[in-house]
Amino acid sequence: MLRKGEAPGHQTPPHLHKDDGDDDDDAPSGFVKLISAEGFEFVVDKKAAMVSNTLRNMLTSPGGFSETREGEVRFPEISTPILEKICQYFYWSLHYSSGKETSEFQIEPEITLELMMAANYLDT
Amino acid sequence: MGSACSRKRGQLLVDEEDLYSARFSKSSSFKWLLHTLPRSGSDVHRKVQGPVPARCPSLMELCVAKVREVFNELVEWNILTEELLGAFRDCALQDICLADYPGVRDAWMEVAASQGQSLLSVDISCSDVTDGGLNQLKDCINLQSLSCNYCDQISEHGLKTLSGLSNVTSLSFKKCSAVTAEGAKAFANMVNLGSLDLERCPKIHGGLVHLKGLRKLEKLNLRYCNGITDSDMKHLSGLSKLAHLNLEGCAVTAACLEVISGLVMLKVLNLGFNYITDACLVHLKELINLECLNLDSCKIGDEGLAHLKGLLKLRSLELSDTEVGSNGLRHLSGLRNLQSINLSFTLVTDIGLKKISGLNSLRSLNLDNRQITDNGLAALTCLTGLTHLDLFGARITDAGTNCLKYFKNLQSLEVCGGLITDAGVKNIKDLKALTLLNLSQNGNLTDKSLELISGLTALVSLNVSNSRVSNSGLHHLKPLQNLRSLSLESCKVTAIEIKKLQLAALPNLVSVRPE
Repeated sequence: MLRKGEAPGHQTPPHLHKDDGDDDDDAPSGFVKLISAEGFEFVVDKKAAMVSNTLRNMLTSPGGFSETREGEVRFPEISTPILEKICQYFYWSLHYSSGKETSEFQIEPEITLELMMAANYLDT
Repeated sequence: MGSACSRKRGQLLVDEEDLYSARFSKSSSFKWLLHTLPRSGSDVHRKVQGPVPARCPSLMELCVAKVREVFNELVEWNILTEELLGAFRDCALQDICLADYPGVRDAWMEVAASQGQSLLSVDISCSDVTDGGLNQLKDCINLQSLSCNYCDQISEHGLKTLSGLSNVTSLSFKKCSAVTAEGAKAFANMVNLGSLDLERCPKIHGGLVHLKGLRKLEKLNLRYCNGITDSDMKHLSGLSKLAHLNLEGCAVTAACLEVISGLVMLKVLNLGFNYITDACLVHLKELINLECLNLDSCKIGDEGLAHLKGLLKLRSLELSDTEVGSNGLRHLSGLRNLQSINLSFTLVTDIGLKKISGLNSLRSLNLDNRQITDNGLAALTCLTGLTHLDLFGARITDAGTNCLKYFKNLQSLEVCGGLITDAGVKNIKDLKALTLLNLSQNGNLTDKSLELISGLTALVSLNVSNSRVSNSGLHHLKPLQNLRSLSLESCKVTAIEIKKLQLAALPNLVSVRPE
């Protein structure tokens, strides 16, 4: 969980976050592992991952993708710092939508273009 | 203002540029559905915040907003290179303002055009962009504002390729030889044009016919378009919404004024430096919505002013360098809304000033004229709303400065007739609202004057050139913390002592004479 008043950039790593209730019913419970180009693994709530429409499709389509059955998705095109930023956004977005987050989501200028390409791919 | 010589230019004329700096908003939808995005990152957040949690901005939206911010910063800091620019290809940029930016050429236009339907405004003024580069913008159909001022590589062929940009509302092609009878055809399709700036386009003759159908045109700048003739002007007669028209220095004559007399929505009209005579002014009678009229250096005198009597909405009147004299001013005494009048270098004398002494809306008055003396100033003491008073060349003495005490709201004052001594400055020392004070050319002023001025802490600009002020008086200026410009040319002051003062006490000082 985000601690109140803390900038998203300083939050605890995403894999330590726990979902804090108000489940929506189609959300699969549990976690999913997102793996960066360098092989770094980020474990996030499925609910957080589903902020991305691309991941939502993967996680909810009947039969599922083979990657999701194994509970992990590889992103050979997305570097570790970018994927970390994306995970931070997932949680920021959940908290924002529930009214618990009011601070801005900070994006460092030097990663903006790369992050934008990843955001485009993840449809988020 | 800092210099002693270059004079005149009205201060309150409506800014011709304000439309160009306007930001634009779009209304239809584009790639990534970015049309709802405001223009800066922080706006994204501001918009979605509120008592009820609003829709969360997508990461894409946040990134695009950030990219726009980064782009503008790179431009502002002058560190955007052609290589860096490549990274912004297809980034949904809305505003690309590269006016005066070094190195802008056709290759840059390819990246600008890649923004496609996101692109709303482009400014490539003073660049080396050619027809080939300009041509790339033709598919950016949502473009609302385009400025290509001083782009001398663009020809009429390049201009014509823009004719499909029918959403453009503001277009600026200052000093551009592309604007010809042929090139101007591009304007005919731009039916949404509200503002068109063609200042100093040398080959414009024959082109104005293509403006005929631009029913939304409100601002037209044809300043110093030397090629324009009276016959060109007749094509403007249908522009019924025209509110701003600048014809300064166009060599137009009375014949064109017949056309202008039908443009009843005109609010701002500049006819300065034209062959306009008293008889011509009869055509202005019907322009009852006029608020600003510039007749600088026209061949007009007292009789002509009779035709301005009914222009009751006039706020600003520029009569500098005309033959207007004291008699003519009686025609202005009913213009109760006048806020600014420039009578510099006219034939007006002290007697005439009585006739404008009742214009208590006046805020700005320019009497830079050798015939004006203390007596004339004494007639104006009821104009207590004055914020700008220019008596640059007037023969005001210490006795006359007593009248200045009535003008408590003065923000700028110039008294440079050479007759003021330290005793006269005593009457200025309590005008606490002053931000600009010019006392240059008064050769008898000493350090005592600087001491008196030291209480005018709002001062931003001070000029006491050509006086007996010396290095030892400089310390009196220390309280003037807002001072940005200081001119003490031809005094007993050295550059090094001013520099010391600047470093020690006046951090805001940016312009210094001598330096």
